[in-house]
Amino acid sequence: MGETKRADGVGAHGRAPLQMPIRGMTCASCVATVEGALKSVPGVSAAVVNLASEKAAVEISDPQKANLPELVKAVHEVGYEVGTEKVTISVGDMTCASCVEHVEGALRELAGVTRAVVNLPTERAAVEYIPGLVGVADFRHAIEDVGYKFQGLVEEGAAALDREREARQKEISRQRRNLIISWALGLVIMVGTFQPYWFLPRVVPAFMNNKIFLFFLTTPIVFGPGRQFFINSWNGLKRGLTDMNLLYATGIGAAYLIAVINTFFPDAGFGGREATFYEAAALLTAFIILGRYLEAVTRGRTSEAIRRLMKLQPKRARVLRDGQEVEVAAEEVQIDDLLLVRPGEAIPVDGMVTEGYSSVDQSMITGESIPVEKKGGDEVIGGTINKTGAFRFRATRVGKDTALAQIIKLVEEAQTTKAPIQKIADKVAGHFILGVHALSLAVFLFWFFVGFGLWFSPESRLILTPYMLTGLGVFGFALLVSVTVLVISCPCAVGLATPSAVMAGTGKAAEYGILFKGADALESTARLQVVIFDKTGTLTKGEPSVTDVVAVGRSEQEVLRLAAVAEKNSEHPLGEAIVRGARATGMEVQDADGFEAIPGHGVEARLNGRTVLLGNRRLMAQRNVSLDGLMPQAERLEGEGKTAMFVAVDGQPAGIVAVADTLKETSAQAVKELHRMGLQVAMITGDNRRTADAIARQVGIDRVLAEVLPEDKASEVKKLQAEGLKVAMVGDGINDAPALAQADSGIAIGSGTDVAKETGHVILVKDDLMDVVAAIQVARQTLRLIKQNLGWAFGYNTAAIPIGAGLLYPFFSQVVSPELAALLMATSSLSVTMNTLRMRGYIPPIRRARLAEAKA
Amino acid sequence: MSASVIGAVIYLGISLVAALVFFAITLAGDYTWVARIGGSLWIFMLGNIVLMPLVIPRVKRWRGG
Repeated sequence: MGETKRADGVGAHGRAPLQMPIRGMTCASCVATVEGALKSVPGVSAAVVNLASEKAAVEISDPQKANLPELVKAVHEVGYEVGTEKVTISVGDMTCASCVEHVEGALRELAGVTRAVVNLPTERAAVEYIPGLVGVADFRHAIEDVGYKFQGLVEEGAAALDREREARQKEISRQRRNLIISWALGLVIMVGTFQPYWFLPRVVPAFMNNKIFLFFLTTPIVFGPGRQFFINSWNGLKRGLTDMNLLYATGIGAAYLIAVINTFFPDAGFGGREATFYEAAALLTAFIILGRYLEAVTRGRTSEAIRRLMKLQPKRARVLRDGQEVEVAAEEVQIDDLLLVRPGEAIPVDGMVTEGYSSVDQSMITGESIPVEKKGGDEVIGGTINKTGAFRFRATRVGKDTALAQIIKLVEEAQTTKAPIQKIADKVAGHFILGVHALSLAVFLFWFFVGFGLWFSPESRLILTPYMLTGLGVFGFALLVSVTVLVISCPCAVGLATPSAVMAGTGKAAEYGILFKGADALESTARLQVVIFDKTGTLTKGEPSVTDVVAVGRSEQEVLRLAAVAEKNSEHPLGEAIVRGARATGMEVQDADGFEAIPGHGVEARLNGRTVLLGNRRLMAQRNVSLDGLMPQAERLEGEGKTAMFVAVDGQPAGIVAVADTLKETSAQAVKELHRMGLQVAMITGDNRRTADAIARQVGIDRVLAEVLPEDKASEVKKLQAEGLKVAMVGDGINDAPALAQADSGIAIGSGTDVAKETGHVILVKDDLMDVVAAIQVARQTLRLIKQNLGWAFGYNTAAIPIGAGLLYPFFSQVVSPELAALLMATSSLSVTMNTLRMRGYIPPIRRARLAEAKA
Repeated sequence: MSASVIGAVIYLGISLVAALVFFAITLAGDYTWVARIGGSLWIFMLGNIVLMPLVIPRVKRWRGG
């Protein structure tokens, strides 16, 4: 690889300045800003920006300080973008967490790569890079250079899915073949090895215990299914990299070598013919391959959510062209095409109903269990199922722009990100292997020079076997314990623990219309302490409606009717609310004979010769209408956060119509649930304190941030974060964007189907606050799963290391055999696999309650 | 000399010294030749495995920087 291609070497010798494409510059002042930002990065000696070519040439004097991510960050911070592209690469031959580190390290080392994240279960590397500085050929080179397979760029859509499934199936078949060979031969070898013990001499022929016979059975296992470990570990070692394969290769290799020496050179001093460990080499290989097979199967299962989403994409569509119904491929549908959908059919693309009436099952996209009624003017989502009637609709979004395509993309992207907890786990796993080899060396020296002399007994046995270690010399014994430590310490399930849980969690959330934009969003949502709700449009419906009518001397119905007539021609939101309220009760709102708006006060209308006044206190005072009898009710209503509008007829008070932005049906319940989950709940609003307090009281919120201007919402979030709290902001993805971005978890609610435009870390497709609760529940469950998985992955091995190192030997004269160590290792893989698969049946408790309600 | 050769000289050298030290110590005790040679080989091998990932990146960085 060329020197100038390396990130740590770019410009290091003052020869080639780094060229970065900059987007968003419009003038000379932008140039100065970007130059200033770049020069402010420590280690940058010069930066020249060219507006015309939209490029910055950066000279780096200290590559340790001025790396590419720092430069990109500096440009971002001053409001410009570095032109980057993203690709997803399919990488083969990765088996563990340290492989992930190797591939990521190799990619990140390339100059021009701004981000590289590898996902082990999907076997994909998501790379963000600056085109021109680096390209796909460099990625291939870097990946192959560290010993892994570059399997090409990942395509989008169904073709990619098929290809991926094919590759996965191939890997599963390969490991299954290995599994069958190693277990079939391994079991014969085990029976042969233990032939002289228990009842076996009576049923097993003696030749099966012949060491040469065992040699011929073991050799195909070690050099067949076991060959992959030797090749992979050697490829890594050549480049100074250690991974789990090395642990396996050392363990299998040592056990096999001793067995061979003791078979053909029994007097060599390794314990003679009675100390051949053929079964150790064979079963060690068999157990490791069992773990590999389980991993390969799990990888397929955890990406099921994406597969399910992809399967929803309909293949065919009925389009009306020139009045004729034509069946075409769904990809061929164009915007504004008129489509026809019959009962039971899937809706091919997003659109708007033009004719017909039906109910549509949208559960696969929104998680809503009850079918939604659709009539003219309503939106329909591609991939959902038409249940009852036939209808026509006009396509509004097709291809990659449909809601389903956007959701798939979002979930896929989320699955190629890394949770902070995983970064720690990967780091630990990366150093663990080295540590294990050092420990194995120390254990060997201890048992060679100290332990053997002090405690070795010819009666020694391997745990859970009748196998005696009588003939074993000091070297053989120390080597046995040393190899066992290598095998027992291997945290081979670590690589799967976090990403498989993240995939299961993000996939499960997507089923409920909850889209996490990354693993970090999932983790931060799980760790939340405070949830701030924006008031208008989030807790409330966002449009005022009539809440109370107070009547004096006539019926409430009559007061509302008079108010509605007066406001019929008004364009004021409060007036519209009154008219809507009146119509909602079924009354006909007739036209007034005359109408006059009195700005800032209200309206005056004439109806059947009477004068109707509707407005505030000031209007009533101006027209000398006495409100004495109505004031207590007016004050009560205002205390509840409502706007009281007085009605007077011919100068006499007639009543009050109170209007307020009402709470959504689920607001109070969602807040209650969040409290029950131990979270603080706050509300942020631009309203005055009195109104805000009134709403907060109704909904049960304990902290109110009132009179906050829209632009100050982000700083209010910041203030809470400064108190050391993990804060979620729930709001409208467009108006509350800065606050959503500032929050640890920005939850954009009710995005509908245009999820790609949303800011925020979590996107809720439905406008339902209960989904905020569900999102936190899914995130918490996923984090719990990650922790359990890490516990299973590290737990077994860590707990077993002292036993493997011979801690119990001085007391019981028993040591763990390498194959028992491998069994423990496979058990940890199996535990992680089973634990992750539990997520498939998970239903967030809040949804469980709703399902039960729906059933009832 | 390339970084990988320098690295190899370092990790092989240190592992060899460790193996020789082990061998020398065993000469003072009552060990069989198999134990002495086998043990030295095992120390040499594990020494290399431990040292390679430590030495190679450092040498590469040193040569590259």
